[in-house]
Amino acid sequence: MTTGAEQAGGATAEQTLDPVTLEVLKNSFVTIVDQMAEQILRTCHSFVIYSRDFSSALCDPQGNTIMQGSQDIAVHVGTLHLTAQAVAEAFEGEMRPGDVYMINDPYVGGTHFNDVRIVRPIFHEGEVICLAESNGHWADMGGSVPGSFDVSARDHFGEGVRVPPVRIYDEGEYRADIVRMVTSNTRAPADAEGDCLAQVEATAVAEREILRLCDKYGHATVVAAFKEVQDYVERLTRKRVADLPDGTWETEDYIDFDPDEPEGLVPIKVKMTIDGEVVRYDLSGSHPAVGTFLNSGYGASFSGVVAGTKTFFPDVPLNSGFYRALDVDLGPKGSCVNAAWPTAVTGFCSGPYEKIMNAIFELWSEVMPERAMAASFNLEYLLVGGTDTRNEGESIFMWYDWMAGGWGGRNGKDGSNATSPVFGVGLAVQPLEGQERLCPVVTTNHEILPDTGGPGKHRGGCGVEKGGTLTEMTKSVMSYCCDRARSVTWGIEGGLPSYPHGVWLNRGTDSEQFLGAVFSNVPVKTGDSFIRPSAGGGGFGDPLERDPEIVRDDVADGYVSLERAAKDYGVVVREIDVELSQYEVDTQATEAERERIRSARHGWLAEDPESVAERYRADELDLLDVLRRHGVILDWGTGELLERTTEQFRAMLERRSSRHWAAAGA
Amino acid sequence: MSEDIVAVDVGGTFTDICVLRRETGELRVAKVPSTPNPIEGVVAGVAAAGIDLSKVALFSHGTTVATNALITRNFPPAAMVTTKGFRDVIEIRRGTKEDLWDAYQDVAPPPIRRRHRFEVTERVDYSGTVLEPLDEEGAREVARLLGRRGIETVAVCFINSYANQDHELRMREILEEELDGVLVSTSSEVLPEIFEHERFSTTIANAVLQPLVGGYIRDLESELKAEGYDGDLVILHSGGGVMTPETADRWAVRLAGSGIAAGAIASRHIGQLCGFENTIGFDMGGTSTDISLVYEGEARTTNEWSVQYGYPIRFPSIEVMTIGAGGGSLAWIDEAGALRNGPQSAGADPGPACYGQGGTEPTNTDAHLVLGGLGKELIDGAMSLDPAKAEEALRTRLAEPLGLGVTEAAAAALSVANANMADAIRLISVRRGYDPREFALVCFGGAGPLHGAALARELSIPTVLVPPNPGTTSALGCLLVDIRHDFFTLLLGTTDQVDAGDVEAKFAELTEQAMERMRAEGVAPDAVELSRTIDMRYAGQWRSIAVPVDGEITSLDDVARTFEDEHEREHSYRHEGSPIEVYRLNLRATGATQKAELARHERENSMPEPVARRPVHFGGEDIDTPVYRRADIPAGATFNGPAVLEQLDSTVVVPSGSAVEIDEWLNIRMSIEEAE
Repeated sequence: MTTGAEQAGGATAEQTLDPVTLEVLKNSFVTIVDQMAEQILRTCHSFVIYSRDFSSALCDPQGNTIMQGSQDIAVHVGTLHLTAQAVAEAFEGEMRPGDVYMINDPYVGGTHFNDVRIVRPIFHEGEVICLAESNGHWADMGGSVPGSFDVSARDHFGEGVRVPPVRIYDEGEYRADIVRMVTSNTRAPADAEGDCLAQVEATAVAEREILRLCDKYGHATVVAAFKEVQDYVERLTRKRVADLPDGTWETEDYIDFDPDEPEGLVPIKVKMTIDGEVVRYDLSGSHPAVGTFLNSGYGASFSGVVAGTKTFFPDVPLNSGFYRALDVDLGPKGSCVNAAWPTAVTGFCSGPYEKIMNAIFELWSEVMPERAMAASFNLEYLLVGGTDTRNEGESIFMWYDWMAGGWGGRNGKDGSNATSPVFGVGLAVQPLEGQERLCPVVTTNHEILPDTGGPGKHRGGCGVEKGGTLTEMTKSVMSYCCDRARSVTWGIEGGLPSYPHGVWLNRGTDSEQFLGAVFSNVPVKTGDSFIRPSAGGGGFGDPLERDPEIVRDDVADGYVSLERAAKDYGVVVREIDVELSQYEVDTQATEAERERIRSARHGWLAEDPESVAERYRADELDLLDVLRRHGVILDWGTGELLERTTEQFRAMLERRSSRHWAAAGA
Repeated sequence: MSEDIVAVDVGGTFTDICVLRRETGELRVAKVPSTPNPIEGVVAGVAAAGIDLSKVALFSHGTTVATNALITRNFPPAAMVTTKGFRDVIEIRRGTKEDLWDAYQDVAPPPIRRRHRFEVTERVDYSGTVLEPLDEEGAREVARLLGRRGIETVAVCFINSYANQDHELRMREILEEELDGVLVSTSSEVLPEIFEHERFSTTIANAVLQPLVGGYIRDLESELKAEGYDGDLVILHSGGGVMTPETADRWAVRLAGSGIAAGAIASRHIGQLCGFENTIGFDMGGTSTDISLVYEGEARTTNEWSVQYGYPIRFPSIEVMTIGAGGGSLAWIDEAGALRNGPQSAGADPGPACYGQGGTEPTNTDAHLVLGGLGKELIDGAMSLDPAKAEEALRTRLAEPLGLGVTEAAAAALSVANANMADAIRLISVRRGYDPREFALVCFGGAGPLHGAALARELSIPTVLVPPNPGTTSALGCLLVDIRHDFFTLLLGTTDQVDAGDVEAKFAELTEQAMERMRAEGVAPDAVELSRTIDMRYAGQWRSIAVPVDGEITSLDDVARTFEDEHEREHSYRHEGSPIEVYRLNLRATGATQKAELARHERENSMPEPVARRPVHFGGEDIDTPVYRRADIPAGATFNGPAVLEQLDSTVVVPSGSAVEIDEWLNIRMSIEEAE
């Protein structure tokens, strides 16, 4: 499917408002969507919403976005206009003042079932002048697992309640029957209804403010501004793009595997062309939909393209004008980036979405080297749900946890340690003290994991490790929505990969089990423990060019271990006084070590993978040696070689890393 | 004899001094540049104001010393000790970034580096039950390492210590036993509240500030003593009260934001003098504007603020919204042809084009000069402005590209600036459920009175108040505040589970703490005023609302009803039948400081002659406008706009259609006509 630039009339549209009125109204629209956001934050029930997984928009009657919240989560960007359009089409000619609608359908441009959107038409002088839309991630939408994240779901029926556009207020009359039909299918109906009301009220806030503007500036002026604000953003974006050199760039990123096929990375291809004042994207050639829920509908994939691009235009406001400067071809229906009903899509966020964004980061890194960034860690959600038996009664609990991780190394700057995922930079890590009150899970550690930052001249930010023990519970299961246990977060310009994802159950005990980076409904019980890392960011530039003094500093702070300082950076650091955190660089030894690595490292990457796997199983090589030195991907639990995956991974490393290394003796 | 009360507010650029003579209520002000060592500025200011310190009864002080230290990170050697497995909570934070889209803009690193964050084995659970006892040997080993590293101040931050503080207190004892003179801040004492990052962050801020604030205050005290002062010194805290040096020494973090609170308090005071319980404070300077809100006589406070993004300070602090709009803000045209205003500023160097210091880009100040709101001289002639340079900048940068005349371009620039500021006021008022029409707008700062009337009109605010000395109004805020402290404790449960007796018992504990603190502050028990609020929310919600409770609680039903009313006022709806949850009990203790009243001036029914007339641009046309020296206008004078009032530190613009009255305290009260 194609969306974006070709549908638009270009930026030649006539401007009727004077610059002052337009600027004032534009800023007022920003204030309005931000007021909606504040209302939601203050009244919501879902902790997912409270952690800022929500968004707000004003759309015109055709659904085009006029303005989106300035602090909105990235993953909703570029999707709100699609659901507004779906509502506008469903109720064409039937909208009345006081109506409010609900929709969550990912097959008409939504993201996943948990993202419930509330849409209110705003009337003035007898006609709909705009739509206010509030989108919030409800904590549960039914389906087969708590939190509605069933990795193994093959289709939408196992995932959750699908809500096509429905009317939940009829001329001001609350239709509790309809709302409860939805909420009764969730695990926390009262909270779901509370969130629904909070979102309805947020749209009422927008209505009040829009009507105020109509009274002040007049109907015609406000309606003209709805259009001209979009034209303005389109003009601004096209101008910026026109100033860039034309060209075509291509890359691919990978989902770990498709269970319906033999092992092997699943490619997502992105081709970008800058053509005058338009940016064209072509995602055709991406793999067919996979047999897990790591697929994405067209709305979510379009969002990934928009959010990836927007990162290189941080100050451009977001509305449909921005989308019109992009021409996005997602390729044929049925691929993992253009999945059709009833393919399961809830895990799009950990699957195609992150890959599209990071691929686009890589492409733009070539166009704008001053804003270049290697890959950042992949969004991950761990869920433990079941029955809490701590206090006499039995109640359902959902321990639903996501972590911060490392961002990619940058041109001239290390990546950020422990930061929210690029999927939603506002998605806040939850306080474990709050979680421990609500759920029978005790967190045993929540700390930066040394050596997880991908080595580079500017290293990736460090990831985090979090472990927990299950206390008093019954009938409980664990599910994980993540990726990149195999398609490990990569570096660019010679930088190295970071660290594989994956959950360990009862690590270090007889019942130790590596569960991998996607699984669902694994039974767990009181006394079990689990631990998982979040990856760091990929490195930027050749790690052998990193300033040894900075490596020493990293060692002193424990971001990099003494051992890996030598192995990854060739920097030999000596302890002076550990108690005082004093270290020094052995300059001569460092030079020698760096020279040794330079001459050996291409060879390491060509070593027979099976013998590398054997040495791993024999404890002669550790995980980071296997991954970073040899570019070999294993099942990290059993040590079994993944042959096809390794082949693809090594080809990727050649392209992003080893090709950029200076030769030995240089 | 002690006859004066002195307030000194040290800001980033200027140190402002207010002196109030208790017997007469006479107020004097002075302004001197701030100095790298702020105490020098304080002393210089005292001299400039001609204060005889031996005759001063109370010296009240607002300072940015804590705020600046948090920004510049210029701390003495500090360390953190935390539960094993959690030394990076302060670095992981909540993971979020301030700028969602700019991948090159980073959150500041934690105040204490990773190498100075230590762990000990211990753990309690959410109910306060000990899961793992404190490893005392390990704790002593940590103390030894801290000693070797020369650490002066330590933050002790254990998981779930809000539910059981025993381990933290024991850790404190061990540190104090092992390390001579070390300062220890425990998280359960600094902020006994759930959520580890917020509690740790506040505690760490306290720890790193403690030696600095303590040293600063001791230096200030001895400097003042050397100058002959032997009265009380009190310091303004972010919650809008003052505290004594002894308390500030221990709760140093409360001084973060001290300077910002002063303006809000001043606007409350001016509002109350004039009979307004609801005021919006509008303090516009050269590069930024601070906006605050007072409702029913109370400055709005927030627990959600920080000096640096990512490191919250969870003490109730006066809520001030700062935006990048000031006299020096640039008016500019972006790539897509839109007219923008700020947040970039011409700053002090080169300053607005009309300063003639090399600035070529038009600022709000240039626009005011071209439109006649500002005259060609500032500060009583000490500084002259160059209209030709202002016109040139406006013509080349705005008027010609937009196809407008210079005057229209200047008016357009100010319209955009005013609209941005009005939007900021909407965020702090309308968004919180307050209707601006029920407020008075208190305008101060050098540029506030230039914009106040236009803003009020934009927001339908009926009254604008301009205090006599707009440029030093913040210092006035330090002058008349009470000793005030906040106490709180967590109490979780729905209103049908929570026992009213328990609530009373918890409030009794808080009261005991409060009375002890106030005793230490030297406030007599019968002079202590206590007010209680309960943070409540619908079960399942995350944010709560502070519901005021008067007197003894016998049932929570009444409180629940008040909560529902407040919820409806603030959020426009109620959720009938949904269970309501109690979250936290708060107690605020207030103890009056020595007070004096500002002098009232005899009303005279006279009006001086204008010192000049000039055309001023109002609503699309140039109107011949009288210019007065504000000092010439007596109390009781009434007149109608258009008029311009010039004074040493500000210029007041009165549009046509506005009626002005000068009250007994020499405040300007301007009534604003409703916009069309």
